[in-house]
Amino acid sequence: MERGFLISVDGVEGSGRTLHVESLKKWLEEMGYGVTTVGIQMSKLMSEPLSEVKRNIVFQRFTLFLAYATDLADQVENVVKPSIKSGFIVIADGYVNTLKSWALTRKLSQEWVNNVLSITPKPDVSISLISPPSVIIRRIIRKRGFLDPLTSAVDLCINEDLYRSFSRYVNKFQSNLTALTEMDGGSVFNTNKSLDQSTKEITYYVEGYLKR
Amino acid sequence: MERRKKRKGMIIALEGIDGSGKTSQAMLLRDWLSHRMDTFFTEWNSSEWVHEVIKEAKKKNVLTPSTFSLIHATDFADRYEKFILPMLKAGFVVVSDRYIYTAYARDSVRGNDLSWVKGVYSFAVKPNLTFYIRVPVEVALSRIKESRRFIKPSEAGDGMFQNVTPEEGFLKYQSMVIDVYEKLAKEEGFVVLEGTKSPREVQTKIREKVGELLWKEDF
Repeated sequence: MERGFLISVDGVEGSGRTLHVESLKKWLEEMGYGVTTVGIQMSKLMSEPLSEVKRNIVFQRFTLFLAYATDLADQVENVVKPSIKSGFIVIADGYVNTLKSWALTRKLSQEWVNNVLSITPKPDVSISLISPPSVIIRRIIRKRGFLDPLTSAVDLCINEDLYRSFSRYVNKFQSNLTALTEMDGGSVFNTNKSLDQSTKEITYYVEGYLKR
Repeated sequence: MERRKKRKGMIIALEGIDGSGKTSQAMLLRDWLSHRMDTFFTEWNSSEWVHEVIKEAKKKNVLTPSTFSLIHATDFADRYEKFILPMLKAGFVVVSDRYIYTAYARDSVRGNDLSWVKGVYSFAVKPNLTFYIRVPVEVALSRIKESRRFIKPSEAGDGMFQNVTPEEGFLKYQSMVIDVYEKLAKEEGFVVLEGTKSPREVQTKIREKVGELLWKEDF
């Protein structure tokens, strides 16, 4: 049986990650591929406990990072590896580069972060999504109605308002993400355009991998 | 006049296999120290929230070597960032019943690469003093059987071995853990104590060493 493969889609909240994972999945399924999705904070092991305690441990960066790493490792072991082995395409809605960008933006050492995540398989196709902070914030507010301090880097927001703090955070996060993605041969897409246009660009890129 | 020097915090760790007597020794040390200075006592696998997640996961048998390792690291990090590090900075003596070396031993025995495990825990400062209580596995086993008669799955490798009795599992698993501890004892400069001696003798030795450390560089 042909081995499946792994597509990672990385980006900050509001970058269009989930949307593009969904449309990639649909597109691939229409072509007859079996597709499984995984993603950040979606493991059986850690998803619930993380959402319960996140508010209390928002300043404990090592703890949070290790909890996210556990969450990812659980999905890698129980979903990603077996799915790929049985010929499925796995799309990760947030993968290693999202976690690394989160950590680097919070000044955790790159060496440490790389070591912790070195047990995860390298994606076959690596896609990162970026957009200007103003666009990202507009998307988040449209969806949730407000900027949630918890997901808006409140731990980095001292002496600033949420909007400015989060804009700066998105900039730093995205420059880390871009560097990481380019370093391991992935591709960065700016989603600050029509959904149709973004989707075309991304599917064209994945098609290139399928035809290789 | 010279200003009184700020007291530096310290970490004193106790390591050893299950049944080595390390917890009793750690508690005796804690009680002795707490009359003299600010003392904090912490145990392995006791984070308020991660502990529960681990318990559930073990019940459902869903942990693999890497998630076993990472979830225990999360538990440790939670206690480290919330308690150990701030206490250390505030000048407390932290008595730790098991520290990062427990993870080095248990995780590598499970098949994780030891240098990876060391890397995962490299955010934590090393203890100022680590006691390793050495006992033969047979002694540890008979102590456990005498005191409560059954062996916890975690003491027999949590399903690492197929088709073995709890006793066999205990002997196999703890022997592997001992091998790693013995290597670490040299590399990391543990103070090795013979756990077959009487509890009082062991404790006397521990207090002696702790006393040297705490009162030599006086405050």
